[in-house]
Amino acid sequence: MRLDTEFMWETFLDVLHGVPVTLKLTIITLLVSAPIAFFMALSRSGEGRIGRRIITAYVSFIRGTPVVLQILFLYSLLPTALNYLIKVLLGLDFNIFNINPIVYAYTVFILNTMAVLSEVFRSALSTVNHGQMEAALSIGLTKRQAYLRIIIPQALTAALPNICNTAVSLLKSTSLAFMMTVKDITAIAKIDASFGYNYLEAYLVIFFVYILLCTLVQLVFHVLERNVASYKKLITA
Amino acid sequence: MRPFHPLFIFEVLPQLVPYLLVTAGIVIGTVFFGGLLGLVLATAKIRRGKIGTALANIYIYVTRCVPSIVLLFIVYYGLPEFLLMFGIDINNAGKGFFVITTFSILFAANMSEVFRSSYEAVDRGQREAAVSIGLTEFQAFRRIVLPQCIRVAIPNFTNTLISLMKEGSLAYTIGLIDIMGKGQLIIGQNQGSYSLEVYLALFILYWILTIMIEKGFGAIERNLSKGKKLVASI
Repeated sequence: MRLDTEFMWETFLDVLHGVPVTLKLTIITLLVSAPIAFFMALSRSGEGRIGRRIITAYVSFIRGTPVVLQILFLYSLLPTALNYLIKVLLGLDFNIFNINPIVYAYTVFILNTMAVLSEVFRSALSTVNHGQMEAALSIGLTKRQAYLRIIIPQALTAALPNICNTAVSLLKSTSLAFMMTVKDITAIAKIDASFGYNYLEAYLVIFFVYILLCTLVQLVFHVLERNVASYKKLITA
Repeated sequence: MRPFHPLFIFEVLPQLVPYLLVTAGIVIGTVFFGGLLGLVLATAKIRRGKIGTALANIYIYVTRCVPSIVLLFIVYYGLPEFLLMFGIDINNAGKGFFVITTFSILFAANMSEVFRSSYEAVDRGQREAAVSIGLTEFQAFRRIVLPQCIRVAIPNFTNTLISLMKEGSLAYTIGLIDIMGKGQLIIGQNQGSYSLEVYLALFILYWILTIMIEKGFGAIERNLSKGKKLVASI
């Protein structure tokens, strides 16, 4: 077994161009889906029965089916459906097939991540004692203030390790974005490999790149966890 | 927009169902071999030897960071060449071999956590108490320790099984014909039309499988928890 090291180094440099895309996919997806997931988690423990049913079914569906299938489905549905919507129903002259495929990637990953995160938030919210809310309301905070200042900071300590897990598995899922012709790390490696059938080398390179990125994500969350937990130490001290 | 034929979903479903056996085979094979590897990892961590624990932790860290599809392709392209160095030719091995190898490597980490957490959850005193009232070592293990271990392990195991089944759908990318692969074949046979219908049929199958695994293991867990509740209520 001989590995073409020169090719591996060139691929590594090439693949670095894909790192921003992969990180962008991960970070923007997390930032957009977090607030949605929070409200999903709230309404699941809330009053509305129909809303709760729909959200429960949605979460069960997303968590019960493979990401790759969700990608394939939405990528074969969205472009043609949007085209039909814009051209025929709205009569606009706008070519939907010109938009950057990363938009579809965002759509899939946000739809997926918000379901996963809503479960994370739900369990985190349940770790905060109900009395905390009552105490906050009794001293005259509004419900919004109580959430922002009392409930969320406490729930966040419980949620961060799970959010970190979600971020890591999201980062790994973005490797499937090449199916939507997004030029992320995996896509670049695949293209490089296809010229000389150097698939093994190319995949070994991104194997290490993913470990590096994953370490980066975990370091970021490690720092966040320390910061969030710092208020806790103050209180107990 | 191309026409959508909801009825085709029900035409496709019977064609996909036989391939559930392949999907199940991948899952069962991975649970077995990944479980063996996981047992080694769990033992290394339970013994608390410095080198063993460090190696196990590195293994778990690395496999946690790698996307399945990347490892799948590394195994698919790399393993035959690697083994050829030792004079072993597996170029004719079936696709299932590569898929099970990949997912065993990946899911050994999850399986080791399943074993370790359940082992550590059962108090040592349970075995001692059982032996002290005259049960043999084997009886104590089979009647007292094992049922409690299994009860603790089930939720973790269920999650592992479900994510394994979902990740297993990537096997079609190297050409394995499981339900996903068959779905792609059907789409290909129809020149790319009916893709939405086929994907919807696959959604239905995967969703039902997940719910069945959850409900099935939930029932087993409740069954095994019977003793626990009795003790607690006294």
